[in-house]
Amino acid sequence: MTDERLPPADGEVIDRGSRLRFTFDGKGHSGHPGDTIGSALAARGVRMLSRSFKYHRPRALLCCDGRCPNCLVEVDGIPNVRACTAPLREGQRVRSQNAWPSLAFDVLAITDRLDRLLPIGFYYKTFYRPRRLWPLYEKVLRRVAGLGRVDITARPDLAPRTRHLHCDVAVVGGGPAGCIAALEAAAAGARVVLVDDQPALGGHLRSRSLPVHGDARIEGLSGTRAAQRLGELIAEQPGIETLIAATVFGIYEGTLLGVNQGQTVARIRAKRIVIATGAHERPALFDGNDRPGIMLGTAVLRLARLHGVRSGHQVVAIVDDGYGWSIVAELVAARVALTAVIDIGSGLPTPELPPGIEVIRGAAILEGTGSRRVTGLRIRVGAAERLVPCDAVAVSLRPEPATGLIAQDGGERRYDDRIGEFVAARLSDAVSVAGDVEGIHDDAHTMASGALAGLEAAVAIGLGTQDAIAAARTHRAACRASALARHGRPVALDAPGGRKQFVCLCEDVTVKEIAQGIEEGFEDLETLKRYSTLTMGPCQGKMCQGLATRLRATLTGETLAAAKLTTARPPFQPVSLAALAGPHLEPVRRTAMHGRHAALTDRWIDMGDWKRPHIYTSVEEECRAVRERVAIIDVSTLGKLEVAGADAGSFLDWLHPNRFSDLKIGRVRYRAMCDDAGIVLDDGTVARLGDTRFFLSTTTGTIDAMEQWLTWWLAGTDRDARVTNVTAQYAAVNLAGPRSREVLERLTETDVSKAALPYLAATEAPVAGVPAIILRIGFVGELSYEIHVPSDFGGYLWDQLTAAGADLGITPFGVEAQRVLRLEKQHAIVGQDTDGLSNPVESGMSWLVKADKDDFVGREAIAAVTARGPQQMLVGFELPERTVPEEGAAVIRDGRLVGRVTSSKWSPYLGKTIGMVSIPIEQAADGSEIEIRLPVGTVRARVATKPFYDPAGLRLRM
Amino acid sequence: MSFLVPCPQCGPRDVYEFRFGGETLRRPSPDATPLVWTNYRYMRVNRDGNAREWWFHRLGCRRWFVTERDTVRNVVSASGWATGD
Ligand code: FES
Ligand code: FES
Ligand SMILES: [Zn+2]
Repeated sequence: MTDERLPPADGEVIDRGSRLRFTFDGKGHSGHPGDTIGSALAARGVRMLSRSFKYHRPRALLCCDGRCPNCLVEVDGIPNVRACTAPLREGQRVRSQNAWPSLAFDVLAITDRLDRLLPIGFYYKTFYRPRRLWPLYEKVLRRVAGLGRVDITARPDLAPRTRHLHCDVAVVGGGPAGCIAALEAAAAGARVVLVDDQPALGGHLRSRSLPVHGDARIEGLSGTRAAQRLGELIAEQPGIETLIAATVFGIYEGTLLGVNQGQTVARIRAKRIVIATGAHERPALFDGNDRPGIMLGTAVLRLARLHGVRSGHQVVAIVDDGYGWSIVAELVAARVALTAVIDIGSGLPTPELPPGIEVIRGAAILEGTGSRRVTGLRIRVGAAERLVPCDAVAVSLRPEPATGLIAQDGGERRYDDRIGEFVAARLSDAVSVAGDVEGIHDDAHTMASGALAGLEAAVAIGLGTQDAIAAARTHRAACRASALARHGRPVALDAPGGRKQFVCLCEDVTVKEIAQGIEEGFEDLETLKRYSTLTMGPCQGKMCQGLATRLRATLTGETLAAAKLTTARPPFQPVSLAALAGPHLEPVRRTAMHGRHAALTDRWIDMGDWKRPHIYTSVEEECRAVRERVAIIDVSTLGKLEVAGADAGSFLDWLHPNRFSDLKIGRVRYRAMCDDAGIVLDDGTVARLGDTRFFLSTTTGTIDAMEQWLTWWLAGTDRDARVTNVTAQYAAVNLAGPRSREVLERLTETDVSKAALPYLAATEAPVAGVPAIILRIGFVGELSYEIHVPSDFGGYLWDQLTAAGADLGITPFGVEAQRVLRLEKQHAIVGQDTDGLSNPVESGMSWLVKADKDDFVGREAIAAVTARGPQQMLVGFELPERTVPEEGAAVIRDGRLVGRVTSSKWSPYLGKTIGMVSIPIEQAADGSEIEIRLPVGTVRARVATKPFYDPAGLRLRM
Repeated sequence: MSFLVPCPQCGPRDVYEFRFGGETLRRPSPDATPLVWTNYRYMRVNRDGNAREWWFHRLGCRRWFVTERDTVRNVVSASGWATGD
């Protein structure tokens, strides 16, 4: 292997004193700290990094700036990592992508020779018919079209994070314009966040060595020093938070920036945004313009200056205006082995160059020769053709403004004839631009426009002074005028139409294919884009959008002024799904008695965010305890609302089909609530604890919706009623079973006898010395008490009750036993036995609709259903055998689906399968037979309209 | 969606803190025709432009309020407590 390192020089970021070992496609290499994977490979003479998408052509470093598709590799199992920006780390295992079986010998490279068989729009043309072959096409396409592969066995070490930042001014881009904008805004008192995608601030200055002019802060310093100085100034200036190596991937409504920094996604909410994203050099169009070794000028410069890596021993630069010549001067200063400069149109006088560099003027580039490595440029000067030998090319054409974010934000981009670029023609209110993104590449202008943008942003939010702005404005105008006076015209695109002139490297779209697409009628850029997949690759058009727009204009004869760029959408740069997903956080709610349960069981069930004990011992044992002795269940998860005020009773009447204003203090009533479409939303109980005070329970999952429902109906009315969600204030148990009264009596002085506290009574009295609400209600059909105490006493209450009932055999029971027991009583669960179309009439709740009531929510709809009569009915069913149909199983008649099973369980206590079904009314009579579909076959069940257990309801009234 | 909703109680907050409550509607009188009731239940204007809407500040003050929102640009121009009408 060759060593392509230059001798050490000022400004490099590598530490030559130590080495990092890594592998590429299994072969061992080493580099230095400060290297990227790409620079380390380049230093070892490894050029080829990938194969292209369609034709599998060899591709190598092109932009060295994370903006093209050429260096996508797999690193430690993570695909599509950009080698040129990914920092080198010890032990990395790097693999090439899109090559099979190997990078050097790629079978599919044959497609390069067969390009006539892969015409533009080849997906549409080739794989459209016959349809039945799609599965086959798909398999082939998978292999051919892959962009990396996902190693599903890899367990990358991911710790995604989300950050929320708020600031006055967000500056995107840490080059000279962005840094100065940030400094000015912060000096005026703004809180600033500065975001830059490079590992250090300074932008293009980092890889420049010639002196910088135009701002007193860095006047006369070398580019490298100027970049460092800007970094120092930013660090010293209070009020600036800097995010480096962070990419802004989107601008969203409400001046929100989405920023990706490693595994962190930061959401920056700013009052103003300054876009100082700079400009990207564009590739040149000629046959074989994608040969390895043909790079952007800044890429050659960056490798040389930052990483001390030589891109070639015989380097030719291509320039078209003063910008290109400034890069040439930097390349010379960076000891790049330049042998020739080809000026394809600047017409500018040749600056002084060291001897040995040939300058060729007025040339057209015809072809890049070579295969795995460029060997020369075939050019034409006048009528003569010649070959300029080289092993690397630095393409330094005038860069294109990076306006993607401006467009995402709803700004408009237009071709500015004076500048010769697409620049922002209209910006949204909160956004301004600064620097090279304005299409002018001149240090003085860049910094003047940065200063102005920073000041303007500050003033827009009420900081800084108008005077300062006026001065900055004048200065910027002068810089702009002088820069424009020196500004060359872009060279008109000359597109001879060769077969291998790549416009879009990501998608392997050539000039010829675009010409053909236009000929076929896809003239509009947006349709041409969809037809050819142009600009739709991993770089999202950063490399090809400008070229494509210009080329299309040339080919259709349209003026650039009339041309549009394609729509820009987030993400501007790819963001990993893991980073977007953020940390895996799942809120869990635990009741005040959770620790007691955890000591007894590890069988939990999730109900909403809550954890509830599913089973403690066995369903059979727990059911038996409830039916024969005494048992206890934690019901703290019940939703609880307190509704208070002089109008609380009439408000509840308004919201329910039944009545509460006439409920006596100390009494409880069942409630079910509908919306105005007559759909059952929720059920529970209402206890009247005082003249103006009601205590409501809701089902566990609906409490938030219920709180919102009640408060919505109150909003804007003058009803005297207040709704308070007290779910977390109370811990609650249900003490159930024939001997529950005995247990409760041992812990309270209040009279809980049948006479004093009958079924559906409520009282407030201390239990075990703790203030409690005692409701004589239950879900399981036995004598039972629902006891609510302040949450802090939940564990204590549990302990007291279990101790007091120990000699009576008190047993905790879980959700599963409770569900079996309630089914034995045919108590429906709203949301399980009902759905988003269930009305009370067809859910067996007609009894609670009070037809004589005035208007209430749902009245009209319920009246309409009542008038037409129920068509479905929710009823019980039983099966003598131990076959338990799945919940949701179909009920069928004559082979047709007519209903469904909403609940079904094996009842150990009754020794049969029981459940609920929603079925047509004709079949819903007690004793009729229905047919239920099982995973295999069907089973016949018997309809039961009365509770299976204690149909007269005597036990709960004991 | 990432716009800010100005809660009359808490000030401008990220839209994800809120529950959207739909267009403001006028509930028909009990004796309105079934057609009027059906329209109230199911038909929405879905205005392209300024719409009056309910919002609930779920992760904040937990109060309902009414906004004027440009449904195209997602800019809330006004917000306030509901009044009787
Ligand atoms: S060379 Fe890495 S993205 Fe262009
Ligand atoms: S070069 Fe990347 S999308 Fe065209
Ligand atoms: Zn609020």
